[in-house]
Amino acid sequence: MKKIHIALIVLIAILLGVIISTVSESGTYVSFKTAAEKPDRTYHIIGKVNLQKEFIYNPEKDANVFGFFMTDTIGTEKRVFYNGTKPQDFEKAERIVVVGKMKGDDFIASQVLMKCPSKYNKTEESESQEMTNESQRPQ
Amino acid sequence: MGIQYLNEHLMFGKIGNAFVVLSFTAAIVAMLSYAFQIYRNQEESSSWNKLARFSFFIHACSVFGIISLLFYLIQSHYFEYYYVWQHSSTSLPEKYMWACLWEGQEGSFLIWTVWHVVLSILLVWKGKKWEAPTMMFIMMIQVFLASMLLGLQFGDIKIGSNPFILLRNHPDFANLPFIHLPDYLAKLKDGRGLNPLLQNYWMVIHPPTLFLGFAATAIPFAFAMGGLVTRQYREWVKPALPWTFFGIAIFGIGILMGGAWAYEALSFGGFWAWDPVENASLVPWITLVGGAHVMLIYKKNGTSLFTAVMLLAVSFILVLYSTFLTRSGILGETSVHAFTNLGMTGQLLLYMLFFIVLTIVLLIIHRKAISNPTEDEALSSREFWMFMGMLVLLISAIQITFTTSIPVINKVFGLKMAPPVDVIDFYNSWQTPLAAIIALLIAVSQFFKWKQSDWKVVAKKLAVSFSISLIVTIVFEIYVGFSRVQHSILFMTSLWAIVANLDYLIRVLKGKFSFSGGSVAHIGIGLILLGALVSNAKKEIISENRLNVDLGKDFPNKENILLYQGDTLAMGEYYVTYKGKEKEGINQYYEVEYLKANHNADGFTKELSLKPFIQLNERMGNVSEPATRHFLHKDIYTHVTYAEMDNKNQVDEKGYKEPKKHLMAVGDTIVVSNSLFTLLEIDKEVDKKANSLNESDIALGLKIKVTDINKNNYLTEPIFVIRGNEKITVPTEIEKLGLKFDFTSIDTQANKFELSLSEKKSNSRDFIIMKALIFPGINILWIGCILMFIGTWIAIRKQISDLKRAS
Repeated sequence: MKKIHIALIVLIAILLGVIISTVSESGTYVSFKTAAEKPDRTYHIIGKVNLQKEFIYNPEKDANVFGFFMTDTIGTEKRVFYNGTKPQDFEKAERIVVVGKMKGDDFIASQVLMKCPSKYNKTEESESQEMTNESQRPQ
Repeated sequence: MGIQYLNEHLMFGKIGNAFVVLSFTAAIVAMLSYAFQIYRNQEESSSWNKLARFSFFIHACSVFGIISLLFYLIQSHYFEYYYVWQHSSTSLPEKYMWACLWEGQEGSFLIWTVWHVVLSILLVWKGKKWEAPTMMFIMMIQVFLASMLLGLQFGDIKIGSNPFILLRNHPDFANLPFIHLPDYLAKLKDGRGLNPLLQNYWMVIHPPTLFLGFAATAIPFAFAMGGLVTRQYREWVKPALPWTFFGIAIFGIGILMGGAWAYEALSFGGFWAWDPVENASLVPWITLVGGAHVMLIYKKNGTSLFTAVMLLAVSFILVLYSTFLTRSGILGETSVHAFTNLGMTGQLLLYMLFFIVLTIVLLIIHRKAISNPTEDEALSSREFWMFMGMLVLLISAIQITFTTSIPVINKVFGLKMAPPVDVIDFYNSWQTPLAAIIALLIAVSQFFKWKQSDWKVVAKKLAVSFSISLIVTIVFEIYVGFSRVQHSILFMTSLWAIVANLDYLIRVLKGKFSFSGGSVAHIGIGLILLGALVSNAKKEIISENRLNVDLGKDFPNKENILLYQGDTLAMGEYYVTYKGKEKEGINQYYEVEYLKANHNADGFTKELSLKPFIQLNERMGNVSEPATRHFLHKDIYTHVTYAEMDNKNQVDEKGYKEPKKHLMAVGDTIVVSNSLFTLLEIDKEVDKKANSLNESDIALGLKIKVTDINKNNYLTEPIFVIRGNEKITVPTEIEKLGLKFDFTSIDTQANKFELSLSEKKSNSRDFIIMKALIFPGINILWIGCILMFIGTWIAIRKQISDLKRAS
């Protein structure tokens, strides 16, 4: 057996490692309900911010805790605490993804990813379409 | 129908459209003519060649025509053109006009096309027998790119997006009533303008550089494919080498410019965030580097030809894949970058699949001719270790691609995988060890001879550089230290890569300039790895909030700190003061001063002053941009993560902010910004006459004592009244303190009273929440970039002079 073949076998083994580690480390998009079943696991949850309810942010007391209410895709609403400052223009986010775990009845998020309308080149006119058209969502 | 619109400049659009169609058809004719020339095996002066060159000439003129026209339209502010309206405005400074050109997708496809044409001119001019084989493939690529601008609609199928479409014909506008007025242009006034976030000199230089890098990957690909179809399986490598190095240099610098932009102007908090868009352009660069090294192996040794062809094809296809990822909207969930989807996903997919299938077919047909019956390479040969290096690069590329492609995998297999929870950490934990191996191979490979070397000689040659880097690493570990073993290993190996190449340059090459390309570029790579490692692993978040109560392990993040105007807080070795804010244009600047303690009367000396700002961007929402002070050995990075915006804190005509509600029981005390107040007692016998209430009203008062910071006491009594079925309140105000009290409701069960309190805005002090980081040694990284670039250019010169000597 040539050395090159050994190298190729090692290569394939490492590639399997890449795939396995990515799949095993990968998160899952779930609902609050599923997240509550395993409170020690970290999940991704997609949802909408409830703008009717007031944000909980008192930077003068603690700049690194920001709370809000969020409804997930199946309609469950939970209070979410994010470990950080209130993101700029949080009100404008049409959809958000929170990453974290449930604690009691609250969701503790370590990351909040916002999907804002018109991040780059959208006209005001087409924003209303964007709300309904999944594929048009800008990144 | 029949509306005579005023002041339109339709002529330009018509010419532009003609150019668009012409560039597309001329590319087809050129491609076919070159194909016939190859098929007929004809000489350079054949009639096919003449036709091919003529149609390439037409194609080139059309492409330059399109870009000049579009630029002229932007310059002239002809807003009847949608692209001009969408990407520029009259108020935009001249220097950003170019940025408008490539802000949109059509424009960025255009600049990509233009670079292909520019590089093609060189191929036609200097290519000799390689003109036809390479140009056939370049023109094939151009057919696809030119079709991206066609803007044809067949039912639901859209081919391309035309940059010359008129505003009034664009679907977003066609149904608006004002657009049908003859003088609609007068009503339009101004364009939407370039996104303020992109009004930045990086936006002027980064996209064209990156696109030149994109275009440069097509040339070695065309050489490899051209070599296959003309059965010149071996000859293509040498002329393709300078192009490959050119691609490495330009593409590499383009990617790093993106990193520099992110670091300077965007609030990523670093120069590399493993964002899918960054990854998508990094990966083809990595495979191109792998390809170049395998080509060098082939040039010396005659082996690994198949691998070389494959890697060049993979690099080119990955460029197409990156275009597909960023422009199809598929990255929606995972990227902060935004490119809009123009509905060309299908076309982009076709573009990519076409070249994948073409490559596979050609490789299968010609596999026998290019796969050599390899003799086993000796473990002590240079080519063996270079090949290993290529394999490690490949693993790195695959790991990045696989993780970046999670949204694509989801789409194809109908899964719902989310990216790893801590993506950056996930990438780093894979890429750090891989980078360490690469650095190791960079250090040792050159000291092996081609074919075979004496292990003892190699070890002897490497001993000096190894000892130096080991000693430096030990010293660094003792005085500074890393928290992770893999960081220490990468530190050691990247240092070794630098020292060993320096050693090679001095002792082996004896400083011979023309041969120094590889060493200089490798020193550059070593410095890039070292700089990235040190600035990341040893970055210091000096704004850590130590005063706050510990919120437990759920809230470990204390990176943001509150700073009141005028207050001074200790941060790292500095003391930091928030001096105040000022508005300039659309930017709100916050002046933050860094001080150092001294023994003078005031105790502090000013070290530096930084002005991070928040861009009040109506179109996109507010964006916070950091400010950085560069020192030789470190950068101080300051970023406002939160600030109260004036418009959000509405005040009434007397300057009061929105009230806050407090539920109080008797005896409760509440602290506000300038005083504290206590609910003394409930007054059940309110003086109704003095408060102009009716005798029949039921009234309840809250007796409140307010104490200000100078210990002055005030008494006040807001009243709650029930008149019939109606609730009314009698609020009170203490003007001196800027406080307004309103007794708004009673909770009878808990025996608590709701007090609504408004404060004057002027009571509260302005504050910012900021984050301050120190990036040590980031300049090592930038120096590395420059050396990598210079080294690669020296290598290009060397390859070209080798070529000339051969012919």
